[in-house]
Amino acid sequence: MIEVRELVKRFDGFAALDGASLSVPTGSVYGLVGPNGAGKSTLIRHLTGIYRQDEGTISIAGEPVWENSALKARVAAIPDDWYYFPQSSIRDMMRFYRSFYPAFNMERYEKLKEVFQIDEKRPIRRLSKGMQKQAAFWLTLCCMPDYLVLDEPVDGLDPVMRRQVWSLVMGDVSERGTTVLVSSHNLRELEDVCDHVGIMDHGKVLLERSLAQLQDNMVKLQVVFSDGVTEVPAELPVLHASKMGRIHTLIMRMSAREAEERVAAYSPLLVDAVPLTLEEIFIYELGGVNYEVKDMVL
Amino acid sequence: MVLIIRERMISLNYRDSRPIYEQIRDELRKLIVSGALATDEKLPSVRALAAQLAINPNTIQRAYNELEAEGYIYSVPGKGSFAAGNDAAGARRREELLRQARDLLRELRYLGVSQEELAALLKEVDQ
Repeated sequence: MIEVRELVKRFDGFAALDGASLSVPTGSVYGLVGPNGAGKSTLIRHLTGIYRQDEGTISIAGEPVWENSALKARVAAIPDDWYYFPQSSIRDMMRFYRSFYPAFNMERYEKLKEVFQIDEKRPIRRLSKGMQKQAAFWLTLCCMPDYLVLDEPVDGLDPVMRRQVWSLVMGDVSERGTTVLVSSHNLRELEDVCDHVGIMDHGKVLLERSLAQLQDNMVKLQVVFSDGVTEVPAELPVLHASKMGRIHTLIMRMSAREAEERVAAYSPLLVDAVPLTLEEIFIYELGGVNYEVKDMVL
Repeated sequence: MVLIIRERMISLNYRDSRPIYEQIRDELRKLIVSGALATDEKLPSVRALAAQLAINPNTIQRAYNELEAEGYIYSVPGKGSFAAGNDAAGARRREELLRQARDLLRELRYLGVSQEELAALLKEVDQ
């Protein structure tokens, strides 16, 4: 379990984190999403013990993270800017990782050599950006972490490699019960791998839910009202409405069944509930706090 | 069999607006209905499917739970999930499909397809 309570972090008076709270249940895969500058990476740097908070608490498995090396030996992370020593090869970095992670698994290291197929003796700085990311996954997965923290982890990976690393991570989640927190902008991908989602904005976590709850609590209805009804009835609690011809598309914060029942009261000609993607949920949730694509002509 | 399932038979369509668990549920149901998964045949484990498809194990479990509620599969603690016989799966699905068939037939009639043509179609399916 990862618990973050009312976390505040200021840089020169600017609150990058402004009372952020989240909790990641053990064994779950938690997707942290939010617009650029929302504070995702700052929060992640607190989880890995790099930043120290100004206010609030962070605990992993019930213990505070700061300067707690016994706990940090169970937490592995891939930051967005992965660090390696200037002249080092993957093999050199493996020795470095091994000295910090008592559970480092050499057998796994050898096995993953087959998967990644990168020369372990080549200097890492000579590898492409995507290959460096692969190297980070290779070493991180060998640490056998109970907690895995990933900041934009598949950025720069090709489609086959993305699937490959997610397959490895999902394998660990189901075999070892690894708890994963991942930040990403690729909502399509998060939808596959996450079971919990937290949406951040302006240094706060606006909402966190299980994916099942998210999907069951918002619905998109396509409705054709009967003749005479041209406007969406004002009594309907609609988050967002658009119209194309006679077809109204309504976004409502309720289950599909409830929405269909409410709309049925107006005896429409056609009602069709369409599931929302995570991307749409993200847009409509943040739309309520003035974050949306602006119609602008340049 | 398990190998065939994971290699070829479950295909997820990323442009499909259905949630992933629904896609997995529907694909597995298709395999059972078509007989590709015989009665009492073991389904791939949640773990194996999660790693193979790179999908969250809880999502897979949700699909399995729904299939079990619908009567298409049954699970044996410690052993895994198995395809149930056709009778068990019947009623609810039949109702749903009849509803869809009714909608389709109505539309075909609207488009001027004659009753004879529909009857011929039914005969063709039976063969």
